[in-house]
Amino acid sequence: MFKYIKKNLAVTALAATLSVAVVVPAHAHKVLADAYASGDMIEGEVGFSNGDMAKNVRIEIVDVDGNPLGEAQTDEDGIFFFKPTQMVEHVFRADLGAGHVAEFSVAVEDLPEINGQTMPVTATSSSVTQTLTASSGQAVVAAQVSSADIRSIRQEMKLLRKEIAAYKEKNDFQTILGGLGYIFGLCGLYLFFLARKEKKSVTKG
Amino acid sequence: MHIVDGALSTEVLIGGAAITTVGLGLGLKKLNIENIPTAGVLSASFFIASLIHVPLGPSSVHLILSGLAGLVLGWAAFPALFVGLLLQAVFFGFGGLTVLGVNAVNIALPAVIVYFICRRGVLSENRTVAALWGAFGGGLAIALTTVFVAISLALTGDEFFEAVKLVLFAHVPVMIIEGVLSGMAVLLIHRVKPDLFQVATRAV
Repeated sequence: MFKYIKKNLAVTALAATLSVAVVVPAHAHKVLADAYASGDMIEGEVGFSNGDMAKNVRIEIVDVDGNPLGEAQTDEDGIFFFKPTQMVEHVFRADLGAGHVAEFSVAVEDLPEINGQTMPVTATSSSVTQTLTASSGQAVVAAQVSSADIRSIRQEMKLLRKEIAAYKEKNDFQTILGGLGYIFGLCGLYLFFLARKEKKSVTKG
Repeated sequence: MHIVDGALSTEVLIGGAAITTVGLGLGLKKLNIENIPTAGVLSASFFIASLIHVPLGPSSVHLILSGLAGLVLGWAAFPALFVGLLLQAVFFGFGGLTVLGVNAVNIALPAVIVYFICRRGVLSENRTVAALWGAFGGGLAIALTTVFVAISLALTGDEFFEAVKLVLFAHVPVMIIEGVLSGMAVLLIHRVKPDLFQVATRAV
């Protein structure tokens, strides 16, 4: 019996390895989307985990209760902009077709400043920073940060964000091994139950 | 081919979960001491195959191997593929837990259908005939899966023919590759271990 199982297993494994060995690893196909404050706009990105961006996709923007707040459209690079007008949580929905749907949101405290009105929490914390910098004599330096600097910082942040997204999508070898472990563990467990059942029926009979 | 969380309506999700429960029940009954190791290996190869992408033209495709699992396991392919899908959802975020039922139906049911259509052919004494049936089964499983995915999307509101066109044409290359590999696998099994195909039907 066990010899039989062993031979069975070896052949199936060989057939399966042969089929898998022909191809090379790459990224999985998943929708990735993110949105963040950028100036007085919300900037967002929609794409697939294989690096393709979602071009010309309509983004629906609603609040938490589903009331529409507006819509946006991604450009050739999968990037969209939306100017928020209300201090509520913004939920973004993108339907990329063929079952690919992305839903992501920007919380109230992460919203950009709207008409000079910010969340009370942000307002207090920023005033604290202002007094601190003023007393330590650094306010002048802070004022000299030009819009060009801010642009380059944003550019770098974008690269970082992309890298983090790619890192999150990385399928670790350990994870794969873990999955295989689960599969073989489940097989063992089921075999154990079947064997016990068989043993019981033998002792009864 | 995995549908993600939030793409389908609740009715479709419940329907998928119900069919999956029945399929799992039937499949677990067919699992016996002899074919559990086979089911495990096929489940593992299915789990890994989806991680390996073949670059093809502007996009990339991955193997599914559900046809081969169906040919070898019959109904037992249902639990084998279900476990693979569950682990993919948990570890890699493919699909999701709420759509697991629908995804299981879309991938495992075609495997079982392939078993019933192609098993006579695969059991043929003539190796070439058997390999051709294996290749046909491998391709057919993918084709059926694309149609099932399109049906799930259509039931939720997508235009059916649009959805079919999108998913089916994107997967023509997968069907061909999958067909060739399944054919080769059947040929190998015939040469080395012909009674592997009989295990599924053997009485518990």
